[in-house]
Amino acid sequence: MIADKKSKLKISNKKPHSVRDLNITSLMDILTILLVFMLKNVAMDASQKNAPEGMFLPTTITKDKLIESGQAILIKIYPDKILYGKENIKVGTLQEFMSKRETREALFNFLKLEADEIVNVMQNKPCLLIQADKKLECRYITEFIKFSASAAFANIYFSSIHTDNKDEVLGI
Amino acid sequence: MYKGPSKERRLSQKEQRHPNLIPLMNMFIVIIPMMMMIMVSVHLALVGINLPVAEGGGGSELEQEEEELPKTITLALLTDRFEIMVEGTKEVNKIPLLESGSGSLNYDFISLDQNINLLKKENEKQTTIEILPDPQVKFDILLRSIDICKNNGFPNIKYLTVSKKYYQANP
Repeated sequence: MIADKKSKLKISNKKPHSVRDLNITSLMDILTILLVFMLKNVAMDASQKNAPEGMFLPTTITKDKLIESGQAILIKIYPDKILYGKENIKVGTLQEFMSKRETREALFNFLKLEADEIVNVMQNKPCLLIQADKKLECRYITEFIKFSASAAFANIYFSSIHTDNKDEVLGI
Repeated sequence: MYKGPSKERRLSQKEQRHPNLIPLMNMFIVIIPMMMMIMVSVHLALVGINLPVAEGGGGSELEQEEEELPKTITLALLTDRFEIMVEGTKEVNKIPLLESGSGSLNYDFISLDQNINLLKKENEKQTTIEILPDPQVKFDILLRSIDICKNNGFPNIKYLTVSKKYYQANP
């Protein structure tokens, strides 16, 4: 009996267990993998970051690259508005572009100024990147191409959503 | 006289020391949401086109060179069909719209793909295709057609902006 009491006393005399830290090593492993994965997937190409809001782009398999030392100017053509550059400067509506002289002149001046700066100051080749809604009629696209060619943009690119699935393009 | 390590030090040396991961965790908590914000979920692609160049008069040497040039292939995108024309041949390959299961009419991109593929085999040296879209054709149709051409070995697409009308007389 006495021995039992002593042993109990001994146990009770022991220091209480220190609070154990949460083992976050496994969490760190997961986060490290996640970080590496994200670093790999983050697009470093500026053109890929400019996915236009509220615009339905066509889907393509083709993925061209800008010509060497080319510098792109962005034009977003929505069914109801035209936005110029990365700053999304509103130029006007499509109808205004087709019929109003002032709208065309404003856009032409923008393009011409930009093209001159790219050629003379930056010593690069001006490229025009057209982001247009897929429901848009080709007459607007043709008009834009003709228009930009007159503003010294010889290299024209269309923006699309890239896919590896050919069936998507073929409409299967 | 040498004094051994104190009891506390001995105990601390015995315990396995874990690296302090809290600063690293803090960094991850900042970096991962930031990455998620800038991560591109939709990958955009560029599809380049060429503009038609004004053709000038040529000498006899140029004419000789032209003879060796591959045939010009033109793809017309019309509101009710695709038409493929090859220079030097009178025959126009027409690909009409297809009726889908729901009853709506759709462009036959599968036939276009097959025809362009066949044309590439027949004109291996040709790398350019001219595209002439009808003003009323949707941009989606234009870009998908360009994509099919590029995918079948015609990397150069000449977008015909000339305001000439294209008519095909029905026999």
